[in-house]
Amino acid sequence: MTTGATAEAAAPEQEETPRRRRPWRTIKAGTPRVTRKAQARLGVFMVAPLVAMVAVFLLLPMVNAIYYVFVDFNGFDPDPPWIGFSNFTELAQDPDVWAAFKNNVIWIVIGTSAPIVFGLGLAVLVWNVRRGSVLYRIAFFLPFMLPQVAVGVVWGWIYEPSRGWLNRVLETVGLGSLAKGWLGDPDTALYAVLGTAIWATVGFVFVIFLSALRNVDVDLVDAARLDGANAFQRLRHIILPQIMPVFLMVTTITLLGGFSVFDIVFVMTGGGPAGATEVLGTYAYSSAFQLNRISYGTTLALVITVISIPFAVWMNRLQRKLSLQGMGA
Amino acid sequence: MHIPPLKILAAAAACLLAAACTGGVSPSSDSDSKSLKYLIEEPEDAEALKALEEHIAGFEKKSGIDVKVSTLPFDNMRTVLQTQLRSGEGPDVFSWGSGPSFGGALVKAGLVQDLTGAYKKYGWKVFDFAKERVTYDGKVYGIPGELESIGLFYNKKIFADLGLDQPRNLDDLKGAAKAIRAAGKVPLAVGDKEAWEGGHLLSMALSSAVGGDGMEALFSGEKAWDSPEVVAALRLWADFNKAGYLPKSPTSVDYDTSTAMFFSGEAAMIPTGSWLVGEIDDNADFEVGYIPFPAPDGPGIFTGGLGSGPWISATASNKQAAEKFLDFLQSEEHSRWTVENLHTIPPRPMDTAGLDVSPLLSQVLEDTAKVGAGGDFGHNIDVMASDAVNEAMYDGVQAVLTGQQTAEEAAASIKTAAKQ
Repeated sequence: MTTGATAEAAAPEQEETPRRRRPWRTIKAGTPRVTRKAQARLGVFMVAPLVAMVAVFLLLPMVNAIYYVFVDFNGFDPDPPWIGFSNFTELAQDPDVWAAFKNNVIWIVIGTSAPIVFGLGLAVLVWNVRRGSVLYRIAFFLPFMLPQVAVGVVWGWIYEPSRGWLNRVLETVGLGSLAKGWLGDPDTALYAVLGTAIWATVGFVFVIFLSALRNVDVDLVDAARLDGANAFQRLRHIILPQIMPVFLMVTTITLLGGFSVFDIVFVMTGGGPAGATEVLGTYAYSSAFQLNRISYGTTLALVITVISIPFAVWMNRLQRKLSLQGMGA
Repeated sequence: MHIPPLKILAAAAACLLAAACTGGVSPSSDSDSKSLKYLIEEPEDAEALKALEEHIAGFEKKSGIDVKVSTLPFDNMRTVLQTQLRSGEGPDVFSWGSGPSFGGALVKAGLVQDLTGAYKKYGWKVFDFAKERVTYDGKVYGIPGELESIGLFYNKKIFADLGLDQPRNLDDLKGAAKAIRAAGKVPLAVGDKEAWEGGHLLSMALSSAVGGDGMEALFSGEKAWDSPEVVAALRLWADFNKAGYLPKSPTSVDYDTSTAMFFSGEAAMIPTGSWLVGEIDDNADFEVGYIPFPAPDGPGIFTGGLGSGPWISATASNKQAAEKFLDFLQSEEHSRWTVENLHTIPPRPMDTAGLDVSPLLSQVLEDTAKVGAGGDFGHNIDVMASDAVNEAMYDGVQAVLTGQQTAEEAAASIKTAAKQ
C-alpha cells in the first residue's frame, strides 16, 4: 500500500494541475443514469449513520454548549437566566483560570517535547535492532495501552511519601534528602504528574516513529555517514526530513493532548494541593460539577477547544504542505 | 411503495433531533405501583450492601413492595442523581446528604417530595437539630441520615507504653504528640490528599475552640470566617505539621493510608469521624479510645454531622409505597439493625439496651445520645456550608499545610467564598 505522500510524490504531473482533477466526472460520463442514481442512493445510505452520529454527538452538544455559555445554569434550573458575556468576562478576570492556563502551558511544552525526544531517541536506537525488536516494541508500548486511571493510581502509590518505592529507592542509594511527598508538594506535584504522563506517552510516540523509520532511505543515511556526518547531523538533516509528516502528526496529537489534559491530573491530585496542579480541564470540571456552575464550566471547556483549534489547523496545514513537497515517510 | 432515501434520511434526522431535544421533568415511566427504585451511595464494604439487601428483603416480604437497590460511587452521585431527577427517570427513593449544597439544592429545584404530612402521619421521631437540617421554608423534605461525630481516636496501648494520659486540653495533646514523636512514631495520622479531610481538621479544632454557639455564629454570619479563632484553628494544623506531629507531607497522604497508619500502630492517633468505628473494630488489635479534639482550655466538644439519609423524588411513581419504605428505614427495628450491622448511628432517640456492639461503638452511642439530648456539639463545616465555602476551605487547609498560604490568607479566602 502506498501512502498519500508517496503517491503524490510519484505523480508530479497530477500535482501541476490539481484543481482540474475531477475524476468523478469521468466516471459519471460513462455510467448509465440508472446506475448513477443507485450509486447516489447507496452513497447517501452509507454516510447517513455517520452524519446522524456527528449531528447527535458533536453538533447538537456543541450548539447546546454555546447556549449554556450565555446563561447561568446551575444544573437544576430548567429556565436559567440569560447573562450574555458575563461568563467570559469573569473568566478573563479569574486568577485561577490564569494559574490553570499556566499549568497547561507547562504541560504543553514539556508534555509535548519530552515524549517526542524520548520516543524518537528510543525509536532510532531500536531501528536497526533485529533480535528482540518485537519485545522492545511491546515493552515500550505497554504503558500506553493501560487505562490512564490505572496508571495514575499506580504512580500515586509509587510517589507515596512513606511507603512509595521512589522515596525508598532514593533512600537506598543515599539520596534520602531528596525524598519527599511528590504529589503533595506544590513545587513538585505538577512535574510528578507530568512525569507519569510522559512515561505513558513515550511508548506511543516510539511505535509511531519506529514505523516511520522503516520507510527512511537507508542509502541516504549511509551516504551521509560516509560524508562524515555525525549521528546528530544524520538525524537532523537526513532522517527527520524524511519522517517530517509523521513527526508533525505525533506533535499535533501530543500538543492537543496538552490542552485537553484531565484524567491523569484528576486521578493523581484532583488539581491539588490547593490548586497547584489545576489545569483548565480539571478547573472546568470542578466549576461545573463540584460548584454546580455548569455554564462557567462549559465556558471554560469551550475556551479550551477554541484555543486548541488554531494549533490543530496550523499543524495540519504544515503537515499537508510538507507532504505535497514530497517530504516524509 | 417507494420512499426516496433522502426523505427517509430527513425523517430519521428529525426523529433523532426530536429525541435529543426532548427534556424536562416527566413522571417516572415505571407504573408498577409495587416497585421502588432505591439509590444509595456505594458502600466501601460489599458485604454491607449484601446485608442491607437481605434486610430490605424482610420489608419487601411484609409490605409486598419490591425494592430494587442500586448504588453509585459518591463522587459520581451528585451529577448522575441531578440528571436523573431532572429527566424524571431517577430513583423513587435515594440516599443523599442534608446540607444546603446537597438536599438543599434539590429542594430549591423542586426535585424532592415534601414530607411534612408524612412526618405527622407516621409519627417519625428525629432529633430536633437533625430535623432542622432537612427543613426548608417550614417544610420537612427528608429524613436525616446517620449521626456522625468527629473527634480523636487514640491507641491506648501506645499511650500506656509511653506513660501518657488521655489529653484533656490542647497543651496535653501537644505534650503527648511530642513524646510520641520522640518515641519514633507518627503522633497524628493525618492525610489530606483528597482535600475533604481538611474540612474535618478545621471543623474539629474550630468547634472545640468556639463551641457550638460559636459555630452557629459563623454560619449565620454574625462572626466572620477570618476571625482570630478561625485563623488560630488553621494555624494550629500548620504548626502541628511544622513540629512533625503529622506524617511527612500530609497533602500527599490519602485517607486510606492514614487509617492504615493508625491500624498498623505506626501512628498513635487519628483525627476523624465515628464512621471509622467499624473498621477499627475489624482491623485494630489494640484498645482504642475516642475523645473530642481538645480545646485550648479544656477537653473540647465533639463535632457533629449528619450523613446521607432517604429522600423521595418529586416524580416517584408511587409516593405511598415510598413513604412506607421510609417508615421502615426510620423504624426502631431498622435503627437497631444499622447500629449492629453497619455501625452507623441513626439521629433518632432509640433504646440501646441489648445491642450487640463493641465497647468503642457503645461509647460513641453514648456520646451521640448526649448530642441528641441537646448537649453542646460542634458542626462539621462541609455539611453546613455552601460548595464555594467548602472549596475554599479544602484549598485553604491544603495551602497552610504546604506553606502556599498563611492561616490569615486561607481564612480570608473562606470569608470571600462565604460572601458569594
